[in-house]
Amino acid sequence: MTTPSTGTLFELTDTHVSVEGRTLLHPLSLTVPSGKVVGLIGHNGSGKSTLLKLLGRQLDASGGDVRLEGRPLADWSNRAFARRVAYLPQTTPATGGMTGRELIALGRYPWHGALGRITAEDRRKIAEAIELTDTAPFADRLVDTLSGGERQRVWIAMLVAQGAHCLLLDEPTSALDIAHQLEVLELVRSLCRERGTGVVVVLHDVNMAARYCDDIIALHGGRMIARGTPADIVTPHTLREIYGIEMEVIRQENGRQVSVPRL
Amino acid sequence: MGDVAVSMSGSTHPPLRPFGLVLLLGVPALLAGLVNLSMQLPPGQWWHALIQPDATDIAELLVLYSFAPRLVVSLLAGAALGLAGALLQQVLRNPIASPTTLGIEAGANLALGATLVFAPVLIGFGREWVALGGGLLTVTLVLLLSRRSGLAPLVVILAGMVTGLVCAALAALLTLFNSHYLAGLFLWGAGSLSQQDWAVPRELAPRLALMGAAALLLLRPLALLGLEDGAARSLGLSLKVSRFTALAVAVALTGSVVASVGSFGFVGLAAPMLARLGGARRLGTRLLVATLLGAALLCLTDQMVILLSSSSGMLLPTGAVTAMLGGPLLLWMLPRLNLPPHTASGLIAPTAGTGRPFMCLGVLAVVLVIAAVLSASLGPGLEGWSIAAPGDPVWSLRLPRILAAIAGGTLLAVAGGILQRVTGNPLASPEVLGVSAGAAGGLVVALFVFDTIDRSGQTLAAMAGASLALVVILALARASKGSPERVILAGIAIGALLDSLVSILMASGDPRAMRLFNWMTGSTYGIDAASAASSLAAAGLVLAALPLVARWLEILPLGDASARALGISSLRSRSLLLALAAITTALATLLVGPLSFVGLIAPPLARLVGLRRPLPELFGAALLGSVIMAVADFIGRSIAFPWQLPAGLVASAIGAPVFLWLLTRKKT
Repeated sequence: MTTPSTGTLFELTDTHVSVEGRTLLHPLSLTVPSGKVVGLIGHNGSGKSTLLKLLGRQLDASGGDVRLEGRPLADWSNRAFARRVAYLPQTTPATGGMTGRELIALGRYPWHGALGRITAEDRRKIAEAIELTDTAPFADRLVDTLSGGERQRVWIAMLVAQGAHCLLLDEPTSALDIAHQLEVLELVRSLCRERGTGVVVVLHDVNMAARYCDDIIALHGGRMIARGTPADIVTPHTLREIYGIEMEVIRQENGRQVSVPRL
Repeated sequence: MGDVAVSMSGSTHPPLRPFGLVLLLGVPALLAGLVNLSMQLPPGQWWHALIQPDATDIAELLVLYSFAPRLVVSLLAGAALGLAGALLQQVLRNPIASPTTLGIEAGANLALGATLVFAPVLIGFGREWVALGGGLLTVTLVLLLSRRSGLAPLVVILAGMVTGLVCAALAALLTLFNSHYLAGLFLWGAGSLSQQDWAVPRELAPRLALMGAAALLLLRPLALLGLEDGAARSLGLSLKVSRFTALAVAVALTGSVVASVGSFGFVGLAAPMLARLGGARRLGTRLLVATLLGAALLCLTDQMVILLSSSSGMLLPTGAVTAMLGGPLLLWMLPRLNLPPHTASGLIAPTAGTGRPFMCLGVLAVVLVIAAVLSASLGPGLEGWSIAAPGDPVWSLRLPRILAAIAGGTLLAVAGGILQRVTGNPLASPEVLGVSAGAAGGLVVALFVFDTIDRSGQTLAAMAGASLALVVILALARASKGSPERVILAGIAIGALLDSLVSILMASGDPRAMRLFNWMTGSTYGIDAASAASSLAAAGLVLAALPLVARWLEILPLGDASARALGISSLRSRSLLLALAAITTALATLLVGPLSFVGLIAPPLARLVGLRRPLPELFGAALLGSVIMAVADFIGRSIAFPWQLPAGLVASAIGAPVFLWLLTRKKT
């Protein structure tokens, strides 16, 4: 089992990204702690997906330094990196005629590679991932026939089977209704709490981020403009800086703070 | 939808004025024409030749009765094709509809060829009626085939281009059997504008004027047809009548051109497209500009061809040249098109899958053995059909070609399956991605550069060609952000490019051309036992290599991001798999020619019978592909006994309808 660690997972120093002359991310320095749920929020085009792709090696930095566990990203071999970091793209691809179990089993690729034997350990991890994510009912169904929420759970199960220390999730709730959004984020947080898995998640909805994240990074126009606990971020002043509109913070009956745009 | 279909989002240039574009093409055409004219007749004599032609001066006669009518015909034919393309695009709300991409030209051409051979009497009624009938039949077939998709633009074009390929293949078959009658058909099918008098322009002009007037009358209903069906109907338009009339006018325009001068691929696509890009937004302007641009485009091409042939002595058919220019044009256009994606449900519909893949594969293997044994023992002879027991001497004649057909089918099916998985594109296959065409192209070049070339040399040339085509197509796929149908269209464009190259070679009258042609249609006739055995061994090796790449084949269809996240170096794995596909295609192309649809249809058929996972799917596809090729070989050998039809051609006649059926099959 992975042990919950409290060290630093990612470390960025003056990292920036530009594509075809457009700067997507201005020089940025920050650290991402392990074992916590870290939320990335911001307006469309603020660079939150870019930052996540950078961490997942889906995108190369144009300059600066990115380290995972103290080693530069480029020094990690493909499979060694995939054993540490699992990434869920914003839109999950169609899976053709694959069943849930077959998809989840793909998560073991970083461990057994193209030709290695499938060991008892692999099978145990797959069973464990199915159990943890409650996806047994979908294991023998075709992934493409599942509903949006069910499909997202199966994909997350694949990431869990990958046995990574860190999950990078790009808007895992974007296509889901509100009940399924809560369900998926609940699952993500319980993975973090029970297994010490670090999570970096891009979220659209600031209230969801405040409810489920331990730490929030807010981006605006490719720059980090705020960082802190949900209580630090959910204030009218910070929210105006992030989204550029007036927001009000309301106290719910259960004591939680939620923000709504001032209408 | 039709009006917004071409978006120029990627470009920062201001749109050119539409009529400026006409000048841009027209002025060089005029200049080239003047240069050509002055080479034939000194400028000082022009006025004289026009006012008082001197019947004894050869140069003046040539200009008056050859050069001038040719110029007029090129303008008329270009205008007709431009208008036809613009009409088709409007009626079908499809920015890449054209006489070429809908198969109308190929259909008209086939009708003419078939009539010449089987019912020459009909030609007496007028060639254009035959061409019109062929064109109408083709377009009806294409629309019927794509009706289920609600005439989704990409499906219509796929159906059209595949139908066009089949028509071209059948026309090729006719040529193979009747090369005496149809020697001229090639030149003519490839579109030649040379004239001896004013008969053709005198024939064409009134017809085109009539059609032009009809188009003018149709202007208002056509403008409404550009809207959604519901909206057009609510504006009080009878959709069926106006749609059919406009289609008929477009087909009639194409038919007249094909009947009098042959086909000029892509002029009918390029002209309306350029009109659109030039900013001709309103329908009336667009039809006019497309007509003018078509005239300018064909005239320019033709003058260039004249210039080239007078300076180099090469006789090029203008139609083949327009096809050669049109291929790259379509390739350039594809990434810039804004087409609604269409999921080919019949090809990717998730099937429940069989719980017992081994059983399924076993049944397929038994079917293959039965087919092979039947094919070896049965056959028509001089005294009718006979059965030969194993050991009979005919077995040693039949067996090599059956085995070669099986090897070819296996290799193509595996190449198709790999390409479909690597590109994540259910429509990919060596044939439609232009990989087979590339292999054929490599071979053509080798055949013409080196006089004699042995089998291993041929293999190398074919492999080089296949790899090159694959690299080009994948670069294009990247540029067009990998929409499946676009990649396919790009592949078909590459295939058209090769076709035009071959037409040019055929028209050159080189004796090697006939041998090449024989092979292009995929004949297993000349296979000896040794090459059959080595092909079979190659197929076996490829099958044995599949388990090594099975996991890649499972993960890569999920896309780059997922593959990378799972620790696969997608560059390395993809290059390896694509190299495997290219080699496999090259080997198969040498055996059965580039023109079968086995690589396209075998993998989806395997999925249809319930083989889902990569390995069972590929092995099943290999078995199915072998069965199809073995049956095609048998049919080709016996249906027209004592003549032989090439197995590749028969396979394409079986494969194309199956593909179209898969493409339009409803989700169950």
